[in-house]
Amino acid sequence: MDNLLEIKNLHARIGDKEILKGIDLVIKPGEVHAIMGRNGSGKSTLSAVLAGNSNYEVTEGSVRYMGEDLLKMSPEERSWAGVFLGFQYPVEIPGVTNVNFMRTAINEHRKHKNLPPLSAAEYLKLMREKMAYVEMDPSFSSRGVNVGFSGGEKKRNEIFQMAMLSPSLAILDETDSGLDVDALRIVANGVNRLKTKDNAFVVITHYQRLLDYIVPDVVHVLYKGRIVKTAGKELAAEVEAHGYEEFE
Amino acid sequence: MEGIKYIPKSQLFDCSVELSSSRKFFVWDGVPEHPLLSEETGVLDVAASFDVSSRMERLSYSPSLENIPPKAVVIRPEEKELTQVIFVRSTSAPLKSRVRIECSKAGNYEVLLCSHTAGGDRFYTEEVVEVNLCKGARLDLVIMQNENSLSRHSSDFRLKIEEGALLKMNTITLHAGNISNNLHALLCGKKSECRLNGLYLADGEQVIDTDVTLVHQAEECVSRQLFKGILSGNSRSRFTGEVVVCPSAQKTEAYQANNNLLTSESARASSDPHLVIYADDVKCSHGSTAGTIGDEELFYMRSRGISESEARILQQQAFAGAVLETISRTELRDRLSRLVERRLRGEDTVCAGCDKRCC
Repeated sequence: MDNLLEIKNLHARIGDKEILKGIDLVIKPGEVHAIMGRNGSGKSTLSAVLAGNSNYEVTEGSVRYMGEDLLKMSPEERSWAGVFLGFQYPVEIPGVTNVNFMRTAINEHRKHKNLPPLSAAEYLKLMREKMAYVEMDPSFSSRGVNVGFSGGEKKRNEIFQMAMLSPSLAILDETDSGLDVDALRIVANGVNRLKTKDNAFVVITHYQRLLDYIVPDVVHVLYKGRIVKTAGKELAAEVEAHGYEEFE
Repeated sequence: MEGIKYIPKSQLFDCSVELSSSRKFFVWDGVPEHPLLSEETGVLDVAASFDVSSRMERLSYSPSLENIPPKAVVIRPEEKELTQVIFVRSTSAPLKSRVRIECSKAGNYEVLLCSHTAGGDRFYTEEVVEVNLCKGARLDLVIMQNENSLSRHSSDFRLKIEEGALLKMNTITLHAGNISNNLHALLCGKKSECRLNGLYLADGEQVIDTDVTLVHQAEECVSRQLFKGILSGNSRSRFTGEVVVCPSAQKTEAYQANNNLLTSESARASSDPHLVIYADDVKCSHGSTAGTIGDEELFYMRSRGISESEARILQQQAFAGAVLETISRTELRDRLSRLVERRLRGEDTVCAGCDKRCC
């Protein structure tokens, strides 16, 4: 099967500080990849670069997504093409309601596919269905995006948005951080329900905990801006037991 | 301006709303076209009601159009009915006009005042709007300003609020060349309340001034002010706000805020809030901000497939929403919200076929 994502020798920096120092990664449809690593190893930088955050500058290497040059695309073009980033720190947008935010997003996606906008009733039906995936109360829809949400509610809102947009490649940046066991289970169930043979997930995490619920096909260990080890799901347990020292 | 009258009025001004409980009047260059709006040509003694202290001296009427006789209109709103008065400038001669809104019985009143320019002339208007709320009167007053880029318009609002009365005023400036809104509010009766909210949108070379002087003269009165501006292009806004709490005005609550959103490098907002407090048992606060659209918010929205331009509009709508949502009547709030959205999208906010340069 064709590769969904192909990263070759990717280098990226923020300001003068080089953070990614040659990443190689291939992801096929239907796969779940976990990327583990210490703070500062470049996990969040990798996800930010893939989503098109302009704070990071790519200095070398290439990223092809469905055969296209991903790095040439704007953040919104990446979203339309099916790339989704679940933020480690979801952004609060006071005054923009969740419903207005997501309806605008959905209709921009539809416009890009030459589809008419969803009617209010169609949108509400879709929204209720997807909110149920993450056990989210419909009253959240009338609140400002992430405003006054608890840590767990923000992460559930990320997975809700992912369910609404049904991406081909979802990158979840430390979605497990700050979650209690119940919230973790809800978030993981949401992800598992969205898994198909055609889409792929990249789960970025410190801990094995999330990987007990979302079982990866491949685990990578990121260290100082490079992938230093790649193996099956057993690697997560190894990291959990022995820490990252052996990769240093 | 020839030609303007060929356009049916119903198409001209979409700020107004069609309601069964509504009366609509047009005033062309200071002359009301309906006998229910009484025209009083005598000079109104607007300064007399503001003889509070020496601080108020500077409120005397500006003499720049001294030789022009003022045109005056008196509006007496009926209870539970929206009175819409639409002021249109259509001839290029400078105009000095006076408007008085009288609520002389206790009750609930609603008034919408719109000002428009029909045509692309360099209109110059000086206006005094006097609002008198007697004991127990509650007035929702919405001011909508949509004028061409060459217009100069100076409005002095003299607001007198007596015991137990409530004034809710929203000043929405959609477009104008150079607008100066001077609001002078006097809370002269016990337990009266004044909520002044304003939204100004400016681009190009527009200049919008807002000068608020709010005097707490009586005790146990409440005032709240929220003025917000969205500035792009080379536009300028200046906000000066002064809240004066007189020695007699114990148990005053007074809040004032001015927030500005700058969407271009060269737009400028200045803000100068003041509190002058002579009483000791009061709750007062004020503050002002100027900021830009946040990069983090933009990236978050774009990462969900919302294009950059749409994301910017959403942010600006959210910013404006805090003022618009204080407009009580739903139809009017919706109408003005749509006009603001169209304005932010750079779409025409008036009619097709009119040669005004509003947008």
